Amino acid sequence: MNAATESLNAPDSSSAPVFHRRAPRRRYLRIFGLETRAELMKMVRMPAFVVPAFAFPLMFYALFGLAFGRGQEIGPVTMLGYLLATYGAFGVIGANLFSFGVGIAVERGQGWMLLKRAMPLPPLIHFLARMVVGMVFSLLILVGLFALGGFFGGVALPLPAWVKLAAWLTVGGLPFAAFGLFFGYLCGPNSAPAVINLLYLPLSFASGLWMPYEVLPGFFKALAPWLPAFHLAQQGLGIVGAETHASWTQSIVYLSAFTVVSLVAGIAAYRRDQESWG
Amino acid sequence: MKTKEIVIAVLLATGLVTFFLLLPRPAPVAQAADDTFPTHLLFEGVRLFDGERLHESMDVLVEGETIAAIAPHLAPPSGTKVVDGRGKTLLPGLIDAHTHTWGDALERALHFGVTTEIDMFTDAASAAEVRAQQKRGEAHGRADLVSAGTLVTAPGGHGTEYGIAIPTLDDPAGADAFVADRLAEGSDFIKIVYGEAGGHWPTLDAATLGAVITAAHEREALAVVHVSNREAARTALDLGADGLVHIWSDRPPDDEILALAAKHGAFVIPTLSVIAMMAGQPNLTALDEDPALAAYITPAEAGTLTQTIAGLPLRAERLEVARQATVALAEAGVPILAGTDAPNPGTAHGASLHGELSLLVEAGLTPTAALAAATSVPARAFGLDDRGRVASGLRADLVLVDGDPTQDIRRTRHIVGIWKAGRAVERRRGDADLADRASAPDVAVFARFDDGELDAAYGHGWQSTTDGMMGGQSTVTLELVSPGAAGSVGALSLRGSIRAGFPFPWAGGMIFPGAEPMTPVDFSSKQEVVFLARGDGASYRLMLFAESLGQIPASASFTAGEVWAEHRISLRDLAKDLRGVWGLAFAAGPSQGDFELMIDQVSIQ
Repeated sequence: MNAATESLNAPDSSSAPVFHRRAPRRRYLRIFGLETRAELMKMVRMPAFVVPAFAFPLMFYALFGLAFGRGQEIGPVTMLGYLLATYGAFGVIGANLFSFGVGIAVERGQGWMLLKRAMPLPPLIHFLARMVVGMVFSLLILVGLFALGGFFGGVALPLPAWVKLAAWLTVGGLPFAAFGLFFGYLCGPNSAPAVINLLYLPLSFASGLWMPYEVLPGFFKALAPWLPAFHLAQQGLGIVGAETHASWTQSIVYLSAFTVVSLVAGIAAYRRDQESWG
Repeated sequence: MKTKEIVIAVLLATGLVTFFLLLPRPAPVAQAADDTFPTHLLFEGVRLFDGERLHESMDVLVEGETIAAIAPHLAPPSGTKVVDGRGKTLLPGLIDAHTHTWGDALERALHFGVTTEIDMFTDAASAAEVRAQQKRGEAHGRADLVSAGTLVTAPGGHGTEYGIAIPTLDDPAGADAFVADRLAEGSDFIKIVYGEAGGHWPTLDAATLGAVITAAHEREALAVVHVSNREAARTALDLGADGLVHIWSDRPPDDEILALAAKHGAFVIPTLSVIAMMAGQPNLTALDEDPALAAYITPAEAGTLTQTIAGLPLRAERLEVARQATVALAEAGVPILAGTDAPNPGTAHGASLHGELSLLVEAGLTPTAALAAATSVPARAFGLDDRGRVASGLRADLVLVDGDPTQDIRRTRHIVGIWKAGRAVERRRGDADLADRASAPDVAVFARFDDGELDAAYGHGWQSTTDGMMGGQSTVTLELVSPGAAGSVGALSLRGSIRAGFPFPWAGGMIFPGAEPMTPVDFSSKQEVVFLARGDGASYRLMLFAESLGQIPASASFTAGEVWAEHRISLRDLAKDLRGVWGLAFAAGPSQGDFELMIDQVSIQ
């Protein structure tokens, strides 16, 4: 404990609710915990919103993998192992895009975000809470996919590879939260789902998330390395032992740049929104 | 409320961990199948002789059967077995470029780091079987074989004297069909015996030699030639031979022949080991006395190493000529290959290659050139492009030795480890078989011939033995006769005739002390053979067959006169090492003629 935190913990600054003064750090943590809990509760209590994003990747995997992909091989791995990485990427991208993009746009339309501005809640904490929810959501999707692939699809990986794949996809999905943030503030509540789906589905296809990159038509093959979802999926494929078409360095650099650009655009859209409503 | 949330969080976390633990994992195939064959093997910080040159410190990574990477520093994948290379030198698996592979030759060779034997004549059918096994990956415990199969020689020529019937060639017209037959049998290259007309053996003439070489080349096979004198070497080189499998040793090299060899790009396998034996200096580098090798040399190998060919006129000057010629060829740029001609007398598979390396260096090659002569040079000469060097993508045939053989060639004998196709080779001590060997029973009396039968106190009993097994014509009959010596009931009579047909004819009666013929028995507790003999007054021999004597028995002579007389023959005088005695024989020969010998009251005590 240093002097700074001791002074922040002093009774006079932590006892009363504070509006326009900075809350102490421990208070922030508590707010963050409450906000995360509230967001999670929202997910549990409003499944109608969550279920499609959860069901799509699992359904696709069951259809293209379990039903049609059995016995096929893509290079050194089975089709089922391969699709586990690509539909995993598809799933986590969806979780983040919908949590940030559609979620924010819809709640803005309901006036909920406006209400939030009146709360003693720093906006960053709200977004962090949303990020955690997005990650939990991602993990849920991955657990579902791994269960299908592992227990029904005969996919066997060393334990570190299972864990690595889940960790990479969960964390690697975060750049798409930033991307979602931008569209959440750019679009209106009615147009957001359409716009985001219009980006999400073709992007997924072109990045080789539905069909293996190896069998994509030439045009998409040339396009794919320029798409962020491609890099998320390629490194997942590396973990399951498939051939990859991008190095870790390339993918990390690309995804980082994508995050920065999305964040800058997202913050700009957020500011514009604040101004128009404020 | 708080507690409930914590419980839920803990339950969820536990559930998640359990879920991941339950996910299927690949069955650990490689490790369960063979612990001694790790998928990754790293030699760390090792001095590397890559087959051509030396690198002071390198990391060498082996993946499965293949050398995967070589660099000053490599990060090994997890699960890699790391071998500390400090103070040690990694070499490519050694190649012996001149051998004859009978029996367990290939297993023995591998014990000494020889991972490939190039064979210059063996039974074509067994060579074909070995090749098929190699192709199926069933040759891990032994050196690989590259073989000429049946050699090309004239009727009655060198190569026909070993008691195996082989096809021979007598004119140029038959050359192409003969070569085609050899290649159809699976021969990896063509080996031809060529000598001078009027020499010890009948030989092909130059026209036939040329036709065989041409036929081999037309069928894209290598043609190598056995020669022993300079003029034969000159003819062979002139006719386009790809290599000579011995150095000539009759006359010093001249500029013309050196230029000829260099011009044709031919290689030479000097086989100084066997030339030293013929010069009366078998085992010149005292392999069986070198502590680094001795433990792995079997008694039988120790026996063969010190032998010379019986009856061969020894010509000491030949070794010096051979050395001169070898160095002159090397200086002329002719590739020199290390080969031993094992298992001839004076050599042993595997061990002798280390002797050959020493002999090459003593002759004047640098240690590095000698090492290349047993690795990259023979691989290139015989087109074995998957071995002979330590380079990524090649087969992981490796020998790790203590010290630096590019400074002191004898360090190749200090083997720390041998890997063939990535698999570690387990070296057995040379005396490993002795542990479970039967000792001779502690009874003195062996045979009395008094019960109306050819009795023997132990072993496989009496048997006739003649040079017929080597193509000779001698005969013998064993029968019981009565009365025996000193008033006993019976004795053993050996009658027969010694005839010309084999250079060292014999005929007689043989005892196998083991339960099966030729099974060695430990006779260390025995001192001498005592027996009574009478006969036609001629000289006879008691022959001792023991592992430590190699293939050639030791013998002591006795004279069988008109009256029964006792003879005592010390076994210790016949062989120092009696741990592997597999036969004793009472025999007549080599002088020709009819003979009659009677034996009684045989004791081995």
